Amino acid sequence: MNENTEEIRLDLLIKQAVYGLTEAEQEQLDDLDIQHLNKHDESFARTAAAIALVGVDQKDAMPAALRSKILADAYELYDAREKPKNAEYEVENNSAVFTPAAAARRPFWDWFGWAVAAAAVIVLGINLYTTRLKPNEIVKVQTPTPSPEQVLKPEQMREQLIASASDLMRVNVGAGNMKDMQPSGDVVWSNAKQTGYLRLTGLPKNDPGKQTYQLWIVAENQDPKTPVDGGVFNVNSDGEVVIPIDPKVKALNPKAFAVTIEKPGGVPVSKQEKVAALGKVETPKAPQA
Amino acid sequence: MAQAILQRIAAGDRAAVQECLDKYGGLVWSIARKMLRSNEDAEDIVQEIFVDIWKNAERYDDTQSSETTFVAMIARRRLIDRIRFMNRRISADSIEDVTTEPFTRSDENMQLCVEAKEAAAAMKNLRPEQRQVLYLSIVQGLSHQEISDATGMPLGTVKTHARRGILQAREALGLGNLQDTKEASV
Repeated sequence: MNENTEEIRLDLLIKQAVYGLTEAEQEQLDDLDIQHLNKHDESFARTAAAIALVGVDQKDAMPAALRSKILADAYELYDAREKPKNAEYEVENNSAVFTPAAAARRPFWDWFGWAVAAAAVIVLGINLYTTRLKPNEIVKVQTPTPSPEQVLKPEQMREQLIASASDLMRVNVGAGNMKDMQPSGDVVWSNAKQTGYLRLTGLPKNDPGKQTYQLWIVAENQDPKTPVDGGVFNVNSDGEVVIPIDPKVKALNPKAFAVTIEKPGGVPVSKQEKVAALGKVETPKAPQA
Repeated sequence: MAQAILQRIAAGDRAAVQECLDKYGGLVWSIARKMLRSNEDAEDIVQEIFVDIWKNAERYDDTQSSETTFVAMIARRRLIDRIRFMNRRISADSIEDVTTEPFTRSDENMQLCVEAKEAAAAMKNLRPEQRQVLYLSIVQGLSHQEISDATGMPLGTVKTHARRGILQAREALGLGNLQDTKEASV
């Protein structure tokens, strides 16, 4: 690298650390690093970070509500990593398309699908190699049978839950705070299985580019102001929809289920301004004397 | 030696997430509030910063920097992006507030972590103008132009002070060598 190019690179690194770069400047720096095989230099960014620490007020404490949101985000990411198969969920025949909110906000985990695909290619390669070495061996190829999880529709999974959960809770759901929306239906929920289904009619179609429905669980273990995110979904035709409830964190003894209208992709915490549907768990009345 | 919190987060240890928030929550919050000067904006961005921290935890290398510096670096990167996006202009009223820099104040109660103490010491060895420019840009998040407006220094002078100041601070912190970059020490 000549002296002039090194000066330009130095200027860019310093600007990046202190003020940030424009897109064009960032491209220029990346090009210089690639052309001259430089490892990306973070020494200025680290220097700036150390200087920033001097201005930190040690008594400053993060608001508790913000901390709760951040924890919820972190657990979403963990859940996504542990349950990648649930990252995207499509319901074909009842006109609703369900996508957990986390799926829209977790590009980091997108690599997982590619990793699975890469692993499959490697396994296939090994298989081809070993079968090539044994030409006389008869290989019986069976048509893969889809697992029940892949085949069952949400309404069938709902029936399965009703049949199998010994602690099944059923909650009636009606209109929320929006006068022009009068949905009705119910929620079935199993505390032990931490899963459930929302069944609704009368929920209007939404434009996914503008807004989405988001499901919430007000649970015993969670501040009512920050209920548990149960996933986002879109409705693209009239009729009954069955939506799987996908709690991002454990939701113990739910007190209510709500559907709000949010921006596309959903939100970590709802302002609960537009509640499209609401179902409260009825507490048994005390016996009269 | 105990495993760093970020390494445990990368390994999938959920308990480490809470520890990380306990240890660095206030720090990130404070940096964000200083740079954005708005609690509402800070709330939004701090949430995004921690998502970045969870995602980048596996990149943390304890031979390159302390965990505290790494967290601050991720926070700053996101904050700089936000400030650029906001195209913020500092109001005249707040200029006096932000130009009071902490590097020279003799506050006995100021409790700093090791990294901050080293940085404060490095800053004290800079020329006052360099120190002021770095404080306004790095701690307060002001652009070249805003610093020029706030201090009356010509724009080119602001850039020169920033460049020389950070080069010297980098060397004082042991993160780089001035001679490598052939930078004049004037």
